[in-house]
Amino acid sequence: MNRMLLIAFREFLENVRTKGFWFGILMMPVVLLLVGIVPIIVENTRVAKSFAVIDETGVVMDAVKQEMSIRDFRYLLTDFSKGEEDMLPDFLAVFFPEVRALNEDTQEKIVNFLFHDGYLDTSLTRRLTNQLTQHRTAIIEWWQELSDEERSRFSGSMSSNYFRLMDVRNIDQLNEMIESEELFAYFVIGRNVVEDGSGAKYVSNNLTDRDLEIWFGELVSQYVRDQRLSHSDIDADIADWINEAVSFEGVTLGKDGETEEVDSTDIARQWAPVVFVYFLWISVMINTQMLITNTIEEKSNKLVEVLLSSVSAISLMGGKIIGIAGTGLTIITAWLIMALAFFIGLPLAAGIELPIDLSSVMADPWFLGSFVMYFLLGYLFYAALLVGLGSLCNNLKEAQNLIMPVQLIQMVPIFLMIPIGRDPNGSLAQVLSYIPPLTPFVMMNRAAGPPSTEEYVITTLLLIVSIIIAFWLAAKVFRVGILMTGKPPGVKEIFRLLRAPVTRRASN
Amino acid sequence: MNSIELESVNKFFGTHHAVSDMSFIVPEGAVYGFLGPNGAGKTSTIRMIMSILYPDSGVLRVLGDEQPERVKDRLGYLPEEKGLYKKMKVKEIITYFGTLKGMARRAAATAADQLLVRFGLDDAANKRCEELSKGMGQKVQIISTLIHDPALVILDEPFSGLDPINVELVRDIILDLKRQGKTVIFSTHIMEQAEQICDSILLINKGQKLIDGRVPEVKGRFSSTLLIEYEGDASNLQRKGIIRVNNMGNSAELSIEEGTDTQALMRELMDAVTLKSFTLKEPSLHEIFVRTVGESDA
Repeated sequence: MNRMLLIAFREFLENVRTKGFWFGILMMPVVLLLVGIVPIIVENTRVAKSFAVIDETGVVMDAVKQEMSIRDFRYLLTDFSKGEEDMLPDFLAVFFPEVRALNEDTQEKIVNFLFHDGYLDTSLTRRLTNQLTQHRTAIIEWWQELSDEERSRFSGSMSSNYFRLMDVRNIDQLNEMIESEELFAYFVIGRNVVEDGSGAKYVSNNLTDRDLEIWFGELVSQYVRDQRLSHSDIDADIADWINEAVSFEGVTLGKDGETEEVDSTDIARQWAPVVFVYFLWISVMINTQMLITNTIEEKSNKLVEVLLSSVSAISLMGGKIIGIAGTGLTIITAWLIMALAFFIGLPLAAGIELPIDLSSVMADPWFLGSFVMYFLLGYLFYAALLVGLGSLCNNLKEAQNLIMPVQLIQMVPIFLMIPIGRDPNGSLAQVLSYIPPLTPFVMMNRAAGPPSTEEYVITTLLLIVSIIIAFWLAAKVFRVGILMTGKPPGVKEIFRLLRAPVTRRASN
Repeated sequence: MNSIELESVNKFFGTHHAVSDMSFIVPEGAVYGFLGPNGAGKTSTIRMIMSILYPDSGVLRVLGDEQPERVKDRLGYLPEEKGLYKKMKVKEIITYFGTLKGMARRAAATAADQLLVRFGLDDAANKRCEELSKGMGQKVQIISTLIHDPALVILDEPFSGLDPINVELVRDIILDLKRQGKTVIFSTHIMEQAEQICDSILLINKGQKLIDGRVPEVKGRFSSTLLIEYEGDASNLQRKGIIRVNNMGNSAELSIEEGTDTQALMRELMDAVTLKSFTLKEPSLHEIFVRTVGESDA
């Protein structure tokens, strides 16, 4: 055992003291951060698509523009960019923070009150109700006089950030502009659009990016629907009532069976295991790969025989597996510390509010504990299989062919991550939990469920038994394979090795 | 006492009978040569002594112990194919191999320092192994083999691939070990080296022992050879009473059949070629090797 630890310690040191090792550890979060940030940057730097409209009715566009302006005003309340308070007129600045703090439903009622003569929510303070009533006209005027540029400073969600309306109506000129890519698309609203929807046309050279078409189509449809309702002599309130969509309130069952409201933290909690599975998978992959590389290097560097003159093949194998396990634990510990620092330390120290609050997930000992445990169990299982096969090979190329079947199995959890995350206690998830090569990943995946205690106990026992069997088989192959030179053996010969008895005096 | 005793040891690899009914004794303090062509079973025999492989049958006693893995720490082994961890430093790797042999880290480090000085490598102690020249690497491997002061040292083909300077270095190390009273076993297929250094030899071919014993004894079992320098047609050298002609152009080693009248034979040769010199002597190991291996292959 002592010798095994000596081997393990050397293996560990050799990996851990290279600069590349720490660089790799640091790169991981950097890459993840980039993956998270780049789409946001791309989104923010996106150039607004310019479009034009030929309105044959002469009335639809006025209504649509009015609706665009109202929607933008809604973003002023719901998605206000901090630091732009100075831009607000004094009469609005006085009570704006109070409006900002309201929930979206109440804010929606305020928008309705301002622009559609709707009723104010009775839950509002008298002071706020008075302010809104008093300044209603001033607010509407101020808002309608603002240019697109000015509005877009209040919020990144303003429509002009995405779509810019051009005031061109000559069809030849429009076609030319499309041709020269000055214009992304133009719409034609037919004369009889309210009556039968005919004559609506969308002209663009890009028919795959449908954002503009869908957005504008929805605006026009709403106008047409409103018109048809009013032409049918339906009371405006009834029309509103018909138009009103049902919005479901997200609720989950609490521990005591009571319903609780779902917020973003709950959703983060539901999906956090997927992130853990991904990291678990990467850690297991990296470390088993490292083990194989080290084993083959040692073999091709002709070190094996020297080592075997001092320690037994089993100690050598065990030492290598333990050493790389230590390396792996170092990697995941470093990652966990970085994650804790980012999700808990950073918000505390710098007072920055992260878009998703993961602090409760990150600090949950159950998640962290299962992550470390499943890393070790998963690693040990694959380490045994791969070190056995790797010992038969003289170079990495040979090894790649031989370990392909094992690596295919290793790929499976990645494909299962999302389906299991959606339904952590579904029958697919339950059945897969009992397949030892998948157990660590599937059970981690289900951590938000969470699975029952019996499931934890039985699957873990199954996995441990499998690990013991894998080690026993690996030992049989390793003690012969590690001294083998020349072509790696075929499947038949490997089975012959596996059938040979393992006793101390057994043939090698 | 004997350092190693083998009694009817057999080793199979699948159907291949790698070592067959092998019995021999290596006396303590001997410099013992394992001779034989490539693939004769030398390395398999050595690996069994080192408990890297286990015999399928027979008795194997190393330093008096029938379970050789128990005495592993008192053996030093330098395999034919050997390497070093490229990224490790010289002193570090020597110390590491010492600890693998059961030495305390501090004792191993002290021993490493002493050996590095003795081998003139003290300047290289902190170099990485990948920076070493081939000869220096060879020295580091030898130091790693000797760091724990083994009672029995086994060197598998220690001379293969070495330049003359390093051949001399290794030879001096073997002789030095002998002076210290250690038992040294080395395998080789170069007979001249064995002849220079060995007290005793074991000659094996195809997994079987052909001859073993002290070098003078072994030689005594073979008839003499006649070393001649000559001019003339070499085919005239082949005549009755001569078993084998090892012709080297201007000279030849003639193996003489037991009971041949050497005086008469020499007179015959004088008539056949122009004889410039001749010496009657015991056969070289090379000659014995070629004769016995040739016979066993026939």
